[in-house]
Amino acid sequence: MSKRTTWMISVIFLVIGFMIAIQYQTTKAGPVERDTRDVWEIREALESQQTQQQDLLEKISKADRTIEKYQEQSQQEQIETLKSSISTLERKLGLTQQTGSGIIIEVKPIFVETEEVQSYPSISPELLTRLINDLNKFGATEIAIGNERVTNLSPVRGVNGYTYINNRPLPPLPVTIYALSSNPEKLSDYMVVSQSKDYFAIENLELKVSIKSNITLPEYEDPLHLEVLQKGEMGETSE
Amino acid sequence: MNRMWLPVLFLIIGVAVGLMTNLRIPEEYKDYLSIAVLAAFDTLLGGVRASLEKTFNETVFVTGFFSNVALAALLAFVGVQLGIDLYLAAVFAFGVRLFQNIAVIRRQVIDQRLITRKIEKMRQK
Repeated sequence: MSKRTTWMISVIFLVIGFMIAIQYQTTKAGPVERDTRDVWEIREALESQQTQQQDLLEKISKADRTIEKYQEQSQQEQIETLKSSISTLERKLGLTQQTGSGIIIEVKPIFVETEEVQSYPSISPELLTRLINDLNKFGATEIAIGNERVTNLSPVRGVNGYTYINNRPLPPLPVTIYALSSNPEKLSDYMVVSQSKDYFAIENLELKVSIKSNITLPEYEDPLHLEVLQKGEMGETSE
Repeated sequence: MNRMWLPVLFLIIGVAVGLMTNLRIPEEYKDYLSIAVLAAFDTLLGGVRASLEKTFNETVFVTGFFSNVALAALLAFVGVQLGIDLYLAAVFAFGVRLFQNIAVIRRQVIDQRLITRKIEKMRQK
């Protein structure tokens, strides 16, 4: 082989190697995902990230304060702090009785005079879930349905045609629903014009909303089944 | 044969440069490149085979490389324009030739070894 031939072949090998490398990279990387968001969407994403960051920072500072308290205090006081945080958590969860101002929603059947025979209406689980969602959406802090305190873990289920909450059946109508709120007037206004009122009316049920300043909600008595809980994504665990 | 390390070195340099530049081909041209790579492989093995058969010709090798790559790309292009997967024809042709070349190379290597062994035996006798 002459020198020229070797060099020629070498250059071709260079080209081949280059092509193989590019081919390998292209197949390995897959299609490039383009960012097609416009400025407004990016701004919104940024804002939500900032809010999340703010939340996290607040949580961190709160936890730091608790740690400081523990470190500063004597053992006796430490136990006090522990107890107070336990009671705070219990109150948050709904394990204690809670008194405050709020609204009372009375669910009554509507009787219409028709030629058909009307059956006695009942609240379906879907309706109840919708109502609870509405209450939470409009700023209710604590909710109780009849004698059952609604916690974050309270299930609303339909069992053999009956509605169960906290694994106990709902009493027959009329049912009273209590909701505490920092601004009961506003909550009541929202509930009066809310969509759940229409949905209840379709099922021949009437919602009667009234404001009361001193309502006591019962505590949640059953054991908490926390083993079903799973760690969620960070973005979804905002309070 | 004493300069055989040069092509290998250049091959390694080519791969390294390709990996380092982080260059990527757009999705539409991926088929062309893959078929070009296949043509390059074919030419490579063809060259090895020719050199083992002692019929290696520099001009044939160089022109074969470029014309194979160009023809494969052209075939793929025409296929895209007509809506027929014509590049499969090139893939098929190159694939068959690749296997044939490998088989020939294998036989050549085995033959050479057998011949050298026989010669050594003859000498020992």
